[in-house]
Amino acid sequence: MATVKGEEAELDSALERAADLLGRARFPVIGGLFTDISGAAAALALAEKLGGAVDHAAGTGLSRASRVMRETGATPASFGEVRNRADTVVVIGKGPLERDPDLIAKLFPGKPGLPRPGDNQREVIFLGLDKVRTPRHVRSSSIRGRASLPELVALLAANVRETRFDIRDKALCTKLNRAGERIRKSAFAVFVYDPAEIEEPVMHTVLETVRHLVLTTRAAIMTVAAPGNGDGVNLCSTWTCGLPVRTSFAREVPEHDAWAYETERLLETGEADALVWIDALEGEGTKRPKGAPTVVLSSSPGRASKGDVVIEVASAAGDHDAALYLSPISGIGMVKAGKANKDKPTVADVLTRIAELIDARNA
Amino acid sequence: MLIQLKGGHVIDPVNKRDAKGDVFIEDGRIVAAPQGREPDEVYDVTGKIVMAGAVDMHSHIAGSNVTLGRQLMPELPYLAAQDGQPISPSPASWGAYATGIRYAEMGYTTVIEPAMIPTHAIEAQVELASIPIIDVAGLAILGNDDYTLELLRDGKGRSDELKDYVAWTLNHSKAIGLKVINAGGSEAFKFNDRTFSLDDEVPDYGVTSRAIVEAMQKAVADLAVPHPPHVHCNNLGIAGNVETAVATIEATQGLPIHFAHIQFYGYGKEGEKGFSSGAATLMDAVNKHKNATVDVGQVMFGQTVTISGDILRQFDGRRAASPKKWAINQGDGNGTGVVPYHYKSKSFVNALQWAIGLEIFLMAEDPWRVLFSTDHPNGALFVRYPEIIHLLMDKDERARWLDDVPEASREFSNLAEISRELTYSEIAVITRGAPAKLMGLNDRGHLGAGAIGDVAVYTEQKNKTKMFAGADYVFKSGELVVRKGKVVRVTYGRCYHVEPGYDPQIKRRVKSFYDSKYGVDPSWFGVSDAITNRRDRFATIPLSR
Repeated sequence: MATVKGEEAELDSALERAADLLGRARFPVIGGLFTDISGAAAALALAEKLGGAVDHAAGTGLSRASRVMRETGATPASFGEVRNRADTVVVIGKGPLERDPDLIAKLFPGKPGLPRPGDNQREVIFLGLDKVRTPRHVRSSSIRGRASLPELVALLAANVRETRFDIRDKALCTKLNRAGERIRKSAFAVFVYDPAEIEEPVMHTVLETVRHLVLTTRAAIMTVAAPGNGDGVNLCSTWTCGLPVRTSFAREVPEHDAWAYETERLLETGEADALVWIDALEGEGTKRPKGAPTVVLSSSPGRASKGDVVIEVASAAGDHDAALYLSPISGIGMVKAGKANKDKPTVADVLTRIAELIDARNA
Repeated sequence: MLIQLKGGHVIDPVNKRDAKGDVFIEDGRIVAAPQGREPDEVYDVTGKIVMAGAVDMHSHIAGSNVTLGRQLMPELPYLAAQDGQPISPSPASWGAYATGIRYAEMGYTTVIEPAMIPTHAIEAQVELASIPIIDVAGLAILGNDDYTLELLRDGKGRSDELKDYVAWTLNHSKAIGLKVINAGGSEAFKFNDRTFSLDDEVPDYGVTSRAIVEAMQKAVADLAVPHPPHVHCNNLGIAGNVETAVATIEATQGLPIHFAHIQFYGYGKEGEKGFSSGAATLMDAVNKHKNATVDVGQVMFGQTVTISGDILRQFDGRRAASPKKWAINQGDGNGTGVVPYHYKSKSFVNALQWAIGLEIFLMAEDPWRVLFSTDHPNGALFVRYPEIIHLLMDKDERARWLDDVPEASREFSNLAEISRELTYSEIAVITRGAPAKLMGLNDRGHLGAGAIGDVAVYTEQKNKTKMFAGADYVFKSGELVVRKGKVVRVTYGRCYHVEPGYDPQIKRRVKSFYDSKYGVDPSWFGVSDAITNRRDRFATIPLSR
């Protein structure tokens, strides 16, 4: 199904209209990008052809983590390593459990894991949130107080490094001392956070703590995956053009800028004069921003019927097999279609056809 | 369509050609001179050097490990261009697209990605599929994974189960061979060990590096996979490690084995600084052990980034990071360490590393067993290959470079005394014939009838850097893709892999292992034909028997 200005249209005429709109655009942005790797690759190719920009609906967190990586590097551990080998897991903030409410059960299964360093009982420390239920074989504690999350992270980091600090809240101080000691005595402590929740200075504090710990023991970070295959799209952008999402292809050399190439800002300021909004993942959805003529590729077009051109596409992992970032393997894996439906075009099909139409007109 | 490359100097050591002659290509393949037919297209290549398309058998061009490097170092092409390396200052210059274009321009038509993480094989294969023009293949990494270690711990090192597991992994990743990186060392690092040598034991498993490599050699030989285990030894980059390398070579028991980037193991510990060339000792062992092949891992001066599954070594190497940032990904199996590095001609150690690599090339009695590589990007970016060929073919060029390195580096290597200059034919061996043969890619690396129509034509020049930087013509599978050093047609190649058989029981066992330990179904990381929308993307090569 496709619509043009709310009126039902044949797919071919919707594609022609999309090619008109994008071919005319001075600086289009391809956003949302709730799509699989093929869809992301096609979006990057189209953005490059049009001299536009790419962004992802979870671009804020992705860009933050990318910037921290570029500035100082990182020390991640895979989900499998944390599940099997971490004796201490520090969950920072509410983001990780909001992203995956079953995270604790997945990280601490009842079954025996692989051999792991040390013989500590496994423990989870919740920093800046209340304890949640943990399996019986796992100890848990929570560190909260009036302090903000960045302050709690800074205090814990100072404690791990045995740097002197003075706070009035004695109960908090006791908890921090205990946690700091536990982390120092851990064989493999892992700090879990959501880059969408904590700012760059806080991430730097966590990473610096890990870099201190690894001088004598094993430690790591683990970030929770962004929604909408954000990590997969970000990886695809990186191997394609060397840069993460929020990258512009308007000049000879691709340019990444987390502020300048954010979809909402580009639309609000009018710097982008067209939008391609992609929302085509099974079981997930994202809200389209407004502000420019839009081509919507959606697997649930009901949600976006007022776009200028709306093309119903197959949902990745619903209607077709899809390569997506999968947390349990900390990488890109293949998800079989729930119920294969070959009637609807994929995001990659549609974007490739639009690109071909634009090429044909420019030929 | 019949294409004739007419009157060139044909260098094809596999078919013992080193003389003026013609090469014919039809339907994507090299054909014998046809009788009584006129070619449809004739390229007059009189006076030019005609070789098969080059085959790079060890270059990190794709996969989650390489992309971790890209994430850490988007500025790499800027820094490399700044110090004069032939690369465009753009982050896209080490993206997938630019990789294929630049390789093709130099006359390369096949490249092997040597480190596919089995659980990340889909990313590696999707990235490889987005590299234009060149054909590719990947090696799957085992040896630090807990399934292998469990089998060895339980005394099943020589069992069919290990063999089946190796076969299953190669099939599942669509790999052409097996890679073993610091066998046991990356796992030991996870137990906080910071050094690991040939006979050290992996904590909890009680398995040595020697036992892992031996078991893998036997499994690969039994499976008749053409490419022998591709081994990255212990103690990479450490002064005095030539002893480890020689011990590892001697431990190979006559079974085929390939040692990767051997330059990084050619280090003695003589002299005040405790660092010297061990090339002579190393090459003595390599020359004697005819079952062993090596690639060199040549170092060149300039900015690069090191990317390796040897996380133990990379962790240690972080102290020398330049720029000062690093990433250690403690992944399933080996994981990945990324450390930016700037090799400096004025550094005693770097200059010696550079000299040791060249010594290794030039001391090889049998070039069929000492192959060309920089371990891109670890020793140098692949865009530096023409300069290395120049250094190998021209002793005066070496002398010029030697003038620029510290006297102490010259003193602790034998490079200045070596007058050997490799011939075109020897260059064709180490960059074409030998790597193709070693990978089991028998349809390439030469210009015999039936070979794939991959041909590179160069204008002969005294300055070999210029000569090999841009081919006059490159044909990929019979199509003209490069003219005057620039790509004129963007095609997409194929991915080659092996399909050794295995007892299907192994699937059930591996599934149960992954389910219980990781909560993962192995089908999630299995590479299917459908990961690209190109028909015929994947092609199987025959086993050795």
